[in-house]
Amino acid sequence: MTELSRRQMLAAAALAAGTLAMPRILRAQGNGPIKLGTLTPLTGSGGSYGPSMAEVVNRAAAEINAAGGVRGRQIQIISEDDQTNPEAGLRAARKLIDVDGVSAIIGTWASSVTTAVAPVCWQSGVFLATVSGADSITQLPHGGFIIRTQPNTSLQGTKFGEFSAELGAKTVAFMSPQTPFTEAQFKFITEAVTKAGGKTSSLIYDDKKTTLRTEVDQVLRGRPDVIVMGGYTNDTAVLVRDLYRASFRGKLIGFGYAVNKQLVDALPADVSEGIYTLSPSTAAGSGAYAHVAKLLGVDAPDTYSAQCFDHLSLIAMAMAAGQGTTGAVIKDNVRKVAQGGGERVTEAVEGLNLITAGTKVDYDGASGPCDFTEVGDITDAKFRYEQVKAGKVTLLKIA
Amino acid sequence: MIEALLQALVNGVISGSLLALPALGFSAIFAVLRFPHFAIGALATAGAYGAWVVNARLGLPIAAGVAMAFAVAALLGAALEYGVLDRLGRGGALMKAIGSLALAMVIENVLRFAFGNDLQAFDLPLARDVVFGPIRIGPQQINNLLVALGVMAALWAFLALTPLGRSMRAVADNPDLARLKGVDPRVIALLTVAVGSGLCGVGGTLIGLDTSIDPMTGARILLSVFAAAVLGGLGSIPGAVAGAFVIGIAEELTVLALAPSYRLAVSFVVILAVLTVRPAGLLGSRAA
Repeated sequence: MTELSRRQMLAAAALAAGTLAMPRILRAQGNGPIKLGTLTPLTGSGGSYGPSMAEVVNRAAAEINAAGGVRGRQIQIISEDDQTNPEAGLRAARKLIDVDGVSAIIGTWASSVTTAVAPVCWQSGVFLATVSGADSITQLPHGGFIIRTQPNTSLQGTKFGEFSAELGAKTVAFMSPQTPFTEAQFKFITEAVTKAGGKTSSLIYDDKKTTLRTEVDQVLRGRPDVIVMGGYTNDTAVLVRDLYRASFRGKLIGFGYAVNKQLVDALPADVSEGIYTLSPSTAAGSGAYAHVAKLLGVDAPDTYSAQCFDHLSLIAMAMAAGQGTTGAVIKDNVRKVAQGGGERVTEAVEGLNLITAGTKVDYDGASGPCDFTEVGDITDAKFRYEQVKAGKVTLLKIA
Repeated sequence: MIEALLQALVNGVISGSLLALPALGFSAIFAVLRFPHFAIGALATAGAYGAWVVNARLGLPIAAGVAMAFAVAALLGAALEYGVLDRLGRGGALMKAIGSLALAMVIENVLRFAFGNDLQAFDLPLARDVVFGPIRIGPQQINNLLVALGVMAALWAFLALTPLGRSMRAVADNPDLARLKGVDPRVIALLTVAVGSGLCGVGGTLIGLDTSIDPMTGARILLSVFAAAVLGGLGSIPGAVAGAFVIGIAEELTVLALAPSYRLAVSFVVILAVLTVRPAGLLGSRAA
């Protein structure tokens, strides 16, 4: 082993520090592949969605690469796990930005994770495309570096409230763990229910408890005829069991991402029978959605995979349109390829060819039309109303 | 209000009984090996998966599942002690504690790799609660309470009446003296870890029977279990049981007065209060 002198050591350290201090752009995006990151929950409460979200991005990128890449540059996807946990998500985002030098991050799922990761992204000039719903996210001072394909909480809350009223509810109880969207969710449910002449109450529970019996008792004393459940799959499973045990005979409504196949499979059929769910609808039946299904090799991909596919397509096309690869280029050009008329495209390869040929495109994706407001919310969203019948989640309507 | 209080008390006893077995395991391990074994949550999850495989995949009755849970967790716990933690012991108790935290993550992710993130439920019908006047209680919960009490009684009998149990207590009391009497502390340590881990496995299974299991099942209760053990007096067997019931009841009663999200804060306020007055814990004989 060669001995390093103190002087050599210092010189080497200074050199290393100097390299790190260089503008990030020099290290990140030279002439190699364009680096993009996925940050999805491979573990934790979002663990059933994250893997396919990352997978669809990888496969769509491979397709783009096979067709010649973005203006001749290949795309390299680096996937990290946010563990559905803000601290872990932030660590992973730092790694993607500082070590890998990605110009965009795709996929953060839980609103708490997105809220933690967002400032690092816009401060580093990295574009963030997310599927989180909390209102507060797009209200952050992100300067255009965030878009989301998931309808925000005010819209979702209003839909929950209106649907409760539609089911004939006079007294609606809202049971939820503490999340960044809990408050807004309850506020908009209350608004919609009050408008229909009903009243509401809410109870925030601890999602790590193994039993929610006392919480259920507390809520049932108010004799609600509809209970809206605002949690994720694991805690909702506990809640639904305890409501069944307490012989609750009213109606239950939950988020589509919580009352999913996984939850229904984990509960006896008579326990989950009749639960209503609401979720942002994918553009089922569209070409882009069929494309996602083919990429993943499943019949009906979930909305989050569809949204991540759209994120990658939009980012790739925005880079091509802006003839650059930085987050700022994506930010400045994403709306030029997402909306505003032009040749309608449903996937990136086709869009990239048109853009290179100088044609204006308007992307309609797998999750919907993908048109964004100034702050980064989508302008239009349809919802999927489903109900659990005999151990299966069945579609009621899309509206 | 009285009814609500009574119901919360019953609920508290039930959730306390679910915490009691892992708390017992944790305390027993601490008594003999003198380090906080933070992998007990993961061991509880491993046991629960063992029981689930036997019950849901192989179609055997729950009782066989519970036995399997004990066996899986005990073997795993002993193997980890023998293969990893014992070697870290030279670095002191802190090193073992950190090692056990790391092992917890490893176990959790191995389970995730093998079984996936999805919720898994036991093959068990869900019964509506039985109502006694103002109080309601689930048949499954009564079963769980009985199993928990039964296991505790068996543990007490084992410690009090068998030579092995007596050796364990001797090592916990004074390892040097025990060695002079011809007891090998290393064998006893391994045995204690096996029994303690097995208890965690059964505890995890009971939680799974009450709800469902996923790779985080044990991790979710780790803090409450730790709180129960500290409260009862680290290393004290009856203390762990008492601590578990106090924490369980306190957590349920909180719901009536405070927002339920303060549950964990309440357990820690309880610990703070008890330890300020009695640093050794409720039933601890010495400050650990």
